[in-house]
Amino acid sequence: MEASDADHRTATGETMLEVYTWEPNANSGKPLFCLKEKQVPFVFHYIDMGKREHFSPAFLAVNRDGTIPAVVHDGFVMTESTPIMEYIDDAFDGPALRPADPYWRWRMRQVMRFMDNQVAPSLAMLASNRLAAPQFQGADPAELKRELDKIPLPERRAAWEKLMFNKTPPADLDESARRVREAIRHFDALLAETPWLAGPDFSLADINVIATFYGLPTSQPEQVNAQATPHLWDWLRRCHARPGIQQAFQLGKGYIGQRAAEARRLLGVGEAAA
Amino acid sequence: MIALYHGGPSGHSASLLIALAEKGLAYKDHRLDLAAFAQHAPDFLAVNPAGQVPVLREGGRTLTETFFTLLYLDERYPDPPLGGADPEARYTVQKWGKYVETHIAPNLAIVDWAMRGQAPDEAARAGFERLPPERRALWAQALQGFSAEEVQAARAALAKAADRIAEDLASTGWLAGDGWSLADIIVFPHAARFAALGLTVPATVADWLERVGQRSAVRQALGEQSLVAAAATMGPERGRWG
Repeated sequence: MEASDADHRTATGETMLEVYTWEPNANSGKPLFCLKEKQVPFVFHYIDMGKREHFSPAFLAVNRDGTIPAVVHDGFVMTESTPIMEYIDDAFDGPALRPADPYWRWRMRQVMRFMDNQVAPSLAMLASNRLAAPQFQGADPAELKRELDKIPLPERRAAWEKLMFNKTPPADLDESARRVREAIRHFDALLAETPWLAGPDFSLADINVIATFYGLPTSQPEQVNAQATPHLWDWLRRCHARPGIQQAFQLGKGYIGQRAAEARRLLGVGEAAA
Repeated sequence: MIALYHGGPSGHSASLLIALAEKGLAYKDHRLDLAAFAQHAPDFLAVNPAGQVPVLREGGRTLTETFFTLLYLDERYPDPPLGGADPEARYTVQKWGKYVETHIAPNLAIVDWAMRGQAPDEAARAGFERLPPERRALWAQALQGFSAEEVQAARAALAKAADRIAEDLASTGWLAGDGWSLADIIVFPHAARFAALGLTVPATVADWLERVGQRSAVRQALGEQSLVAAAATMGPERGRWG
């Protein structure tokens, strides 16, 4: 783990906000996007997921479950990424990221739940089998077993075992692909009704979805394009054009930042003034 | 006027019945017979295509997902406030809402189903076919039955949940902040079933269950019925990806 000194305490030095996470991607990225949108300073502890640092003793001392992100505010430890998003909007100044109306808040939470339970895990299953699984081929099975034993949560251990030993059933991959296709259609339909996913204003729902969907123009060009999904396409352009979103994509080692930059080029979105 | 479609005072339906009683809100009562799988009948699927209760309707809008409906009620009818007094308490309320959905309810459903030992009839099976694919897949899994290993893992997950409930109760006697909140309301109906499933609960949890059960709104919501007669509700899948 390493801490970046780029952003430190607030001007008054009274509060201490620390974010332990990987890249501006999916669950890892949720607090980064929210904090940049609200312009809240924080200390960033980079957790290298590729090196499985989230299962290291140093990180397990922060979050015993070994999941990222973890956010610590003045000693209060939070480890659930979507509740963390609501906390950031609740506890800090800056532009509101939740609708004032209770019904639209309900809708915002439904969008996030659909994303968290169905869509993001499906995209993650597809991406990890494509990108991460090959690195385990030819590895010593005994060594992989030892790595698995470091994972605290049984459900996570089961998922990593499938990945490391290439045991994800093809039917599961097909189902994941179906869920992603359905979600693309669903979001395009929602965005035909309202400019943002939870009504007239940008909200946590948009952050939750862009954190995982930012790369669709490049990774799923046949499904996501200006003709097939005009409303989603326009929404992707508007999300990528936001200064806060662009600043968050600059965090991390650049793997994700580079993919976001490719998406911006394809979408025809310029770089926002810093 | 609020309308509530529910399965009686158990599981997620109980949480909404308790919150409505706490807020003193009147509602039109639609009770469904979950043992007969009325939640999968075409007339109810027209209300909620996912075939799940509870559902709350108000002003032409249909709200699903118990925890989000609880937050909606608290934001729309803030008296008495149940969402947590400060950002930390409100985070903790949200954390428990999520934990019930992703850990407690799905594991409780597996253990419940395994103890039920009675296959659903033809009419019930026909109902599963009317559900969206994700929910149909969960029921198909249940119909196949769960292995002894899966049931054991579900029991272990519930035992761990009981320990985490005890940890959060330790400082104030309530799950989020200094007082009774939506965190208690969302967890209570599920935790109240642990003993009937043969799970030992820590003394802190037993004491909390006792105190919650005696609150007047809880007694009003639950009536004379115990919380034991819950129908299994298949929840989100676990571990599609780590």
